[in-house]
Amino acid sequence: MELNIFVQHFINALSLGSLYGLVAVGYTMVYGILRLINFAHGDIFMLGAYFVYFATIVYKLNWGVGVVIAIILTTICGLLVDRIAYKPLREAPRISALISAIGVSFFIENFAVVVFTGMPRPVVQPPILMKPIEFSNGVRLIPLGILVPVVAFLLVGALLWLLYCTKPGLAMRAISFDIETTRMMGVSVNKIIALAFGLGSALAAVAGIMWALRYPRVEPFMGMTPGIKAFIAAVFGGIGSVPGAMIGGLILGFVEIMSVAFFPTLSGYKDAFAFLLLILILLFRPTGLLGEKLEDKI
Amino acid sequence: MRNVRNLILTIIAVVLFAFFLDKAPELLNGYWQRILNLIAINAILALSLNLIYGITGMFSLGHAGFMAIGAYVSALLVLSPAQKNSMWILEDIYPWLLNVNAPFIVSLIIAGLVAAFFGLLVALPVLRLGGDYLGIATLGFAEIIRILITNTARLTNGSLGLKGIPAYTTLFMSWSCLGIVLLCTVCMLRSNFGGVLRAVRDDEVAAKMMGINTFKIKVIAFTLGCFGGGLGGALMGNLITTIDPRMFMITQTYNVLMIIVVGGLGSVTGSLIGSVLVTTMLEWLRFVENPITIGAINIPGIPGMRMVIFSLLLIMVIIFRREGIMGMREFSWNIFFPKKKITDVGSKTETVLELEDVKLKFGGLSAIDNLSMKIKHWEIVGLIGPNGAGKTSAFNVISGFYKPTSGTIKFLGKSIGGLSPDEVCKAGMSRTFQNIRLFGNQTVLQNVMIGSRIRQKYSWWMTLLPFIFTDVIKEDAEARAQAMNLLDQLGLDAFADEKASSLPYGAQRRLEIARALATRPKFLLLDEPAAGMNPQESEELMKFIRRLRDEFDLTILLIEHDMKVVMNVCDYIHVLDQGVHIAEGTPAEIKANPRVVEAYLGAGAAEGGAA
Amino acid sequence: MDDRTMLKIEKLNVSYGAIQAVRDVSISINRGEIVTLIGANGAGKSSIIRAIMGLVKSRSEEMTFISPRDGKPVSIQGKPAEAHVKLGISLSPEGRRILPQLTVEENLTLGAYIRDDAKGIADDMEYVYSLFPRLKERRRQKGSTLSGGEQQMLAVGRALMSRPDLLMLDEPSLGLAPILVDEVFGIIREINAQGRTILLVEQNAFAALKVAHKAYVLEVGAVGLSGTGAELLNDPKVRAAYLGG
Repeated sequence: MELNIFVQHFINALSLGSLYGLVAVGYTMVYGILRLINFAHGDIFMLGAYFVYFATIVYKLNWGVGVVIAIILTTICGLLVDRIAYKPLREAPRISALISAIGVSFFIENFAVVVFTGMPRPVVQPPILMKPIEFSNGVRLIPLGILVPVVAFLLVGALLWLLYCTKPGLAMRAISFDIETTRMMGVSVNKIIALAFGLGSALAAVAGIMWALRYPRVEPFMGMTPGIKAFIAAVFGGIGSVPGAMIGGLILGFVEIMSVAFFPTLSGYKDAFAFLLLILILLFRPTGLLGEKLEDKI
Repeated sequence: MRNVRNLILTIIAVVLFAFFLDKAPELLNGYWQRILNLIAINAILALSLNLIYGITGMFSLGHAGFMAIGAYVSALLVLSPAQKNSMWILEDIYPWLLNVNAPFIVSLIIAGLVAAFFGLLVALPVLRLGGDYLGIATLGFAEIIRILITNTARLTNGSLGLKGIPAYTTLFMSWSCLGIVLLCTVCMLRSNFGGVLRAVRDDEVAAKMMGINTFKIKVIAFTLGCFGGGLGGALMGNLITTIDPRMFMITQTYNVLMIIVVGGLGSVTGSLIGSVLVTTMLEWLRFVENPITIGAINIPGIPGMRMVIFSLLLIMVIIFRREGIMGMREFSWNIFFPKKKITDVGSKTETVLELEDVKLKFGGLSAIDNLSMKIKHWEIVGLIGPNGAGKTSAFNVISGFYKPTSGTIKFLGKSIGGLSPDEVCKAGMSRTFQNIRLFGNQTVLQNVMIGSRIRQKYSWWMTLLPFIFTDVIKEDAEARAQAMNLLDQLGLDAFADEKASSLPYGAQRRLEIARALATRPKFLLLDEPAAGMNPQESEELMKFIRRLRDEFDLTILLIEHDMKVVMNVCDYIHVLDQGVHIAEGTPAEIKANPRVVEAYLGAGAAEGGAA
Repeated sequence: MDDRTMLKIEKLNVSYGAIQAVRDVSISINRGEIVTLIGANGAGKSSIIRAIMGLVKSRSEEMTFISPRDGKPVSIQGKPAEAHVKLGISLSPEGRRILPQLTVEENLTLGAYIRDDAKGIADDMEYVYSLFPRLKERRRQKGSTLSGGEQQMLAVGRALMSRPDLLMLDEPSLGLAPILVDEVFGIIREINAQGRTILLVEQNAFAALKVAHKAYVLEVGAVGLSGTGAELLNDPKVRAAYLGG
C-alpha cells in the first residue's frame, strides 16, 4: 500500500476511533456510577449535531458561537433526561431504568423526526477545515482529519484531569465504587450523578458536531449505530474506565477502517466487526481491557 | 371440581373465539384482520421472549435476530422456483436453494427449529455471562445475523430482501399457532419444571443448592424462546409478504420487550394483554401521522408523532407502574367466583462429613486455615466464632460454592471437594442461607416442590405436552403431595398458596428449611437459623431443630451467633477465629475454654470475666 | 436535657422488612465522652449507628444533635447522610469500606469533601499521618493494597478529615491482630483526649469497656444494661450476653 493511502487510512481510523471514544466516555461514566446502559446517549449525540446545524446553517451564526450554543443545549438535554426519566427510578430494579432508557431513546429519535423531519440535511463544511495540506512526500491531509483526534484527545485529557485532580472528580470516582460510603463523606450523590450526565452529554455533543462535519449531513437516526458501537467500545475498554473507553474506541475505529482498507471484500461486514470483538472480549475477559474484576458474593 | 369447571370455561371461551375467527373475514375489513393477525404474532413473540427474560431471568436483546432467521427460512421454503429465479438480480441464487420447497406449515416448524439451533449456538458460549453483559452480547449476535443476511446475497438476496412471499398467514393460521404455543407454555410453566425456571430467575444460588444444573436450564429456556422467535418471524414474513434485513433491527426487539414490560414481566396473561394493547395502540396511533380534517380545519399529518406518543406512554408506564399491567400475576377463572392437605430414613454411616486440612484463600488472604473436623451421624454440630471468622466460608466450601485451595472433604465416604453445588446436593447435602434465599415470587408450595425436582424422572420437553406424557402430571402430583406433607410437618400448611416473600420472618426461615428437606438430604447445613428472631422464637427454634433431626434422621451442622441456641441444641461445637480452628468440644468445654472466651470478649476477658 | 448533651435518641426503631433489628433504644451522649455500644453479633449495634448516620430508614421519638459549634439543637431524624457530615458527625463504617481504587491520600481527601480550607485540610492530613505514621509511608498506594490493620487506620483517619464533633466508629477492631487492637484503642483514647466525642460500636467488649465512659449492652435489638465502662467490666451479665449464660 502506498504511504499516502496508508497515512490517510491511519488518520481516518484515528478520527473515527476518537469519535467512538468520546461517545464511549459518556456511556462508561454513567454505567460506572449507576450500572445503567444509557441507551439515549447516542441520541444525545445526534442532538448535538442538529443543534450545531441549526445554529450555523439555519441561523447563520458564527461557527465558534454555534458550537458553544450546541454544546450547552445538548448538555441541558442530557441533564433533563436524567432528571425526568432516570432519577425517579434510582431505587427501582435496574431493568426499569433500562427500559426507561430505551423509551427515551425512541422518544428523542422520533421527536427529532417530528421537529426536524426525517430527511437528512446536508451540513456545509467550513472551507478552512477542508483545504488539503500537501507534504513533500506526497501525503495529503485534510485539516478536519487532524482536528477531530486532537480535539478528542484534548477533551478526554481535560476529563481525566477533572477526574483525577479535582474534588468533584474524586467524588465521581468514589461513587462508582461505593455510593453509600461516598455519601458518608458528605458528598451529594445526586449532584455528582448529574455532573456525570452533563459531562457525558457535552462530550457527546462535541462528537456529534465533529461527526456531522465528517459525514457532512445530519438525520434523526444518525446516533443509533455510532451509539451502540461506542457502548461496545466502552465495554471493550472496560466499562467504568475513562481511558479504557478511549482506547476501546480507538481500537474499534482502527479495526473498522483497516480491515476494509486491507480486505476490501469484507466491506459489507464492517459493522459486524464491532460485535464480533465485543463477543470475543466478553467471553475471554468479561471486564474488558482495563476493567476491574468484581467478586460475586453468596 | 374447580379445575373441571375452569377447564370447561376455557374450552367454551376457545370455541367461541374460534367461531369468531371463522366468521372474522366476513365481519371485519382488511385493516382489522391485519391487526388481529399482528396481535397473534406479537403474542407468540412476547411469550417466547417472556420465557427467556421474564420467567427465566436472562436479559436478552437478540429476539430480532431469531425472528429474521425464522422469516428468511420460511420465505425461502415457500417461494416458488420461478419467483426465486426472477428475484435474485445481483447475484445468482445457490442452485440447491432454487428448488427447495416445503408446505407452509412445515416451513414454520423448520423456521422455528433453525432459529432454535442458532439460539443454542449462541446460548452455549454467551449464557455464562450475566445481566447487562448478556443483553449486549445477544444484541451483538442479532446484529451479526442481520449483517450476515445482508451480505450473503446468494442465499438471501442481500439488502434487496424477498418480495412476493405468499400471504399464507391467515387468521386461522396465526391464531392456531398462538393457541399451540400458549398451551405448551402454560403446561410447561404449571409443571414443576416451570417452577424450576422461575427458581433460576429468583435465586440462582439457591436453585443450585436444590440440585438444579442452572446452566442447562438456562440453555433449554433460551433455545425454546428462540424457537418462538423464529416461528413469530416466519408468520410475520408470510403476513407482510415482503422482508428485508432492515426490518429486523434492534427496534424490533424493543417492540417485543415493550409488550412484555407493559403486560408484566413473567406473566403469560400479561404478554397476551400487552400484545393486544401495544399492537392496537401502535396501529391506532397511525392516525396522528395521517392528515385529519375536523370541520373546515385541516391538520396535516405529522410523521414520527406516533412513536413520540408511544415512547412517552412507555416511559410513563415504567415510572408510575413499573411492574406492568399484570405484574407477575396470571389470569384465572377463579376471580369470577368468590372463594369457599413421609419421613425418610438415611443410611447409617458412622462419619458423615470429614474435613482434612481444608484451606481457602482469596488472593493472598486466607479465609480458612487448615480446618479439620469430623461429624458423626445423628449429631447436631455448632460452628461458632466472631464476625469474619470464616464460618460462612466454611459452609460455602462444604456445599460446593467455593473450591478449597487445598485439603480434602469427604461426604459419606466420597470426596466432594471441587464438586459444584448441584452435584453436592445430589450427593445428599442441603443447606439454608444466612440472608434467607427463597424464590420470593413463587408460592410456598412451589418453593418446596422445586426441591423435589432432582428426584423426578420426566424430561423437561415432556412438560410441553403433558396430556401425552402423563408422567409429568403423575410425578408432579406426587411431588405436590410430598411437599404438602413437609409443609404440614413444619407447620406451614396454612401458607401453602401464599407468596413466599409475604410470609412472616420466622415462617420464611422454616420454609427455607422445608425446601432444603424436600431434596431429602442426609446432611443439613443451617446458616444462622436464629438470626433476627426474638428470644421466644429462638426458644422454639431449638426444639424445632432437635425435632428435625429425629424425624428426618438428619445430621446437622449449624452456624449460629445466638449462644443460647448453640449451647442448648448442639452436641458438639467447633470454634473458628480469623480462619483458624481454635477449639472444639462439648458446650460445657467450649464455655470454659479461655481461647474461646478471649475470641469473643477480647483479650483479658478470661480473667476479667472470672471475677 | 443536660447542657453537655450532644446526641439524644429516644425510642429508636429500625426494621428490615419483617425483621425488627432495633426496638425502642434510647441513648444519650455527652460532649467529650467515649460511649460504647456492645453486644453479640446481630444484637443491632450497627443498625443503631447506621440509623444515626441516616443510612437506614428508622423511626424514633427524638433524634437530636446539638452541635458544640453553635449549641443549637437540630433534629437529624430522616436527614440524608451527607447532611450529617456538614453538621459535624462522621462515621468510620463496619468493614472499613475503603475505596479500593483510590490512593490513601485520595481516600483522606474525600473525607474532607465538605471543607474548602486547603490549609486546614493539609494540616489535618498531617495530623492523621502523625496518628498513623504507616499511612504516610503508603500515601500513594491504592486502598486495596493495604493490610487489614492499615485499612482500619485509613477508615478512622478518613472519618477524622471532616473535623467531626462526633466521631462514630463501627467495629474498629474487627479482624485485627491482638497487638493492633491495642494500638487502635490507644488511638481512640488519644483522639478523645484531644476533645472529640466518640460513639464506639464493638464486638470486643472488654477492650471497649476499658476505654468507655459510658456503655450500653444490647441484646437482640434492645438495651439490656447500661452503666459506666468500669461498672460493666465486672458485671457477670455482660459475659452472659455474649456466651449465652
